[in-house]
Amino acid sequence: MKPLLVLIGGLVLIIGCHMPTPPPTPDPDGELIEKGRQIFFNETFEGNGRTCGSCHPAGNNFTIDPTFIASLPDDDPLFVAEFNPALKKNFENPRLMREFGLIVENLDGFDDLANKFTLRGVPHTLGLQDTIDSPQGPRTGWSGDGSPGDGSLQSFATGAVIQHFTKTLGRVPDVDFRLPTDEELDALEAFQFSLGRQEELTLPLPLKGTVAKRGQELFLSPTEGKCFACHSNAGANGDPAVFGPNAGNLNFNTGVEDLPDQPQDLTAELVPPDDGFGIPGDGTFNTPSVIESADSGPFFHNNSVETIEGAVAFYNGDAFNNSPAGQLLQQATGSGINLDGTQVVEVAAFLRIINTLENIRQSIEALEPVANKWHQTVEQGKRLLDQAAAETEDSIAVLSGGGLHPEAVMHLQEALRLTKKAQRSLFSKSRYAREAIEQQEKARDNLVEIS
Amino acid sequence: MSKLLTIIGTICFLVLGTFSAHAEKSTELYIPIGQSPGLSGEYTVLGKIDQVNLQNQTLKMSGASGSYTVKLTESTSIYLDRSKVMRTNTYGTLVDCKVGDTVEVKFKDDSRNKPLEWIKVEKAQ
Repeated sequence: MKPLLVLIGGLVLIIGCHMPTPPPTPDPDGELIEKGRQIFFNETFEGNGRTCGSCHPAGNNFTIDPTFIASLPDDDPLFVAEFNPALKKNFENPRLMREFGLIVENLDGFDDLANKFTLRGVPHTLGLQDTIDSPQGPRTGWSGDGSPGDGSLQSFATGAVIQHFTKTLGRVPDVDFRLPTDEELDALEAFQFSLGRQEELTLPLPLKGTVAKRGQELFLSPTEGKCFACHSNAGANGDPAVFGPNAGNLNFNTGVEDLPDQPQDLTAELVPPDDGFGIPGDGTFNTPSVIESADSGPFFHNNSVETIEGAVAFYNGDAFNNSPAGQLLQQATGSGINLDGTQVVEVAAFLRIINTLENIRQSIEALEPVANKWHQTVEQGKRLLDQAAAETEDSIAVLSGGGLHPEAVMHLQEALRLTKKAQRSLFSKSRYAREAIEQQEKARDNLVEIS
Repeated sequence: MSKLLTIIGTICFLVLGTFSAHAEKSTELYIPIGQSPGLSGEYTVLGKIDQVNLQNQTLKMSGASGSYTVKLTESTSIYLDRSKVMRTNTYGTLVDCKVGDTVEVKFKDDSRNKPLEWIKVEKAQ
């Protein structure tokens, strides 16, 4: 009897020590968000086969770039202009799409498709909770005027279906596509708002890396980088100390259109100038968040700069310093932005670190339900592990690309190995996910002081 | 330096940032009457044309919420909605607006005292 009691007691102790952490309070919008997810990735709106996910895939930070595009099969709906005879002309430019990740937008009207269009990169849809609001209304898309109707994020999908999902250039509702219903728009909005970070950073962060620490100083310096003015806390909003309280997301003409030798201009393809916000445009473009930038290039509205270092260096050049925004900055501060080579790398290193920290946060957020068995279905579990793996791969690439924190990279590589083991495992997913979280946390400890 | 940056911020804001973050008009062309997301039924007016004055660039319309004389300007977009007959919508002019046509109008800044931002005219051909 006594050995049996000891055994039972031991088992109770073991089970008690490994009681799963209770799940967090369910999100009241959870059902709506899940419905939005299904629509986003599966609904073609009776059009040409594309879904929202065709240009905003989950596994590539909800954007596309030439590397990702090259991985797609030739019959992917993204390439519909290449195999749908009705869309062969004046719908996309396949060469510029494949080579530079550029998509056609008829922002100034549809009356002259052959000549009146812009070519823009696909903006990601992460962190929208904190990046599109302004006192003048939401700013969606690269020029801040991406939505029809009331201009809200909710209405954005209606315009996207008309522009990108049509079967022919006739764009007749209920023939070439169907418009999203109000319920679908609500769900899509809820889903998009759920993506990525839900709150702003508070800078300065207690960074451990020497180079990134200096980069953060430059970023926040009103005499050197001056980046904080338009990217408060490295986000998408104007700094309240500069633009007043509740400045929100702003548009600026920073002179990107005036950059020489833009890659797409080096081809023989027609690339009309992009005049930005409004019809006719006023030359301004929307400020994106830079927290998500290091793993979502190429950069600027026309993908004209490939690397994060190049994007930072842009602000040293004539195109920016001669632009309306650059000129005002010079008048107010006495000088333009004039970072030397090492300083450009330092600011870029800072951007790489904050991006990695966000990727780590997202990885842990995706792994926790698997580690604690909170997820409801096998499909959900797979999706979460796929997301964790993708974010971890990004973290590794972002740090390695800048030659930063090799020890953190080792932890992240181990985290990736464990995440992939969890993906393959039948009975030990939870354990591997838990171990992967530990490695993510070790990597994070390498980058920033944890209070 | 901080004060200077505040000044620059104010100037930037005034010069570059005070415009309305208005909707993208271009795809509005293809949205049928009564289906503009967030606008139709709340900020737009539906009705029928009673009178067209080409000289004054006005038209008189009446609907469930009453009668209005609305003003068009050079910047008013006129969309011909042919979706009911399954034809591509096109841009039009005031000449295309006929008595008896069903229309939906949106006022600038959603103020009925202001000229139209756009008008959609239902066309059967």
